[in-house]
Amino acid sequence: MTRYRWFVLPAIGAIVVIIGWMVFLSLGENLVYYLTPNEAVEQRAQFPDGERFRLGGQVEAGTLVATADGVEFTVSDGAHEVHVVHEGAPPELFREGVGAIVEGAWDGDVFRSDQLVVKHDEQYQAPEDEGHPYEVPTDA
Amino acid sequence: MNRHRILGLTALAAVLVGFYFGGQAPLDQLQGEYTRIMYVHVPSAWLAYLSFLVTFGASILWLARRKPVYDRIAESSVSVGVFFTALALMTGMIWGYPVWGTFWDWGDARMMTTALMFFVYLGYLALRRSIPDPAMRATRSAVLGIVAFFLVPLSYVSVIIVRTLHQGITVVRPDSPIDGEILLALLSNVGAFTVVYLAFMSVKTAIARGEEELEEQSAAADATPAGAAITAPNLEKVRDV
Repeated sequence: MTRYRWFVLPAIGAIVVIIGWMVFLSLGENLVYYLTPNEAVEQRAQFPDGERFRLGGQVEAGTLVATADGVEFTVSDGAHEVHVVHEGAPPELFREGVGAIVEGAWDGDVFRSDQLVVKHDEQYQAPEDEGHPYEVPTDA
Repeated sequence: MNRHRILGLTALAAVLVGFYFGGQAPLDQLQGEYTRIMYVHVPSAWLAYLSFLVTFGASILWLARRKPVYDRIAESSVSVGVFFTALALMTGMIWGYPVWGTFWDWGDARMMTTALMFFVYLGYLALRRSIPDPAMRATRSAVLGIVAFFLVPLSYVSVIIVRTLHQGITVVRPDSPIDGEILLALLSNVGAFTVVYLAFMSVKTAIARGEEELEEQSAAADATPAGAAITAPNLEKVRDV
């Protein structure tokens, strides 16, 4: 049996990854990682208040406000805008103009989130280079 | 100087050049100092992919030609690849914690496929330890080395075929949205890590060859009758104790 004890770690690791992934995908009920504001508005009927999903978009300039227990801002994909009320401390690099993915649910017209990550895009630019706004890709 | 030493010193020099360019390059306007983690992260991921590609090729060659050298290359390349996959995962987590705000995400396709790749190739090394017969071991691990390779292109394209938290492809595209100096630093580190791969492979295949010879010797020793090595138990001494 000792010949097979080396399989224990890889087997447990692979099973944990697959189960973790499947649990994540089954929670969302849809196989996309996040919905864009446009999709979220179009599929509003499928997500009643309290039904959790992820929403990803660009944090609109001039909309970010600090609140008592978090931040409020508007995410956009160019087509639609959704107002997000986030509870909790945002990540260090969170600011206007970045892509953000929030997890939470609709509450009427606003999206209430309790998890927030910054989606860095594939651009790497030195500060002096202007004209590369950060965007959340809406294709794929 | 032997081959290992020349390759090792070349790798060291290449890494120092890479670190120099990494230190000189401007920082990304958003990420600041965290940009520099990329100079280890991306070359590590590249080496992971390269290693498993070499294993894939060497595994096919073993099945076609049955020369032990191909099996040694396949095995050595997985050992190196697993190490660099772990390094890519770890540097990714270190970068993700401040930049994304999370070090792990169970829904991200790039993270999941890479973690799966890590454990499957760790399983490849476990498989090798479980089969005593060299030819059978080489054949079975060659089959795994070919089958498991699908995870490599899957991991690479995972950021384009589905939405992920992980950013998309930066370098290998026509309108590469990366600063020239950052790109130079990145490519110099990719080059340096590739020399590190060659240095590691040189030593690891030599070790694999030594292990193979040792295995053959002990197999030969087991096969020959023990002869004079076996003597009657010295009962006189046993009684004295």
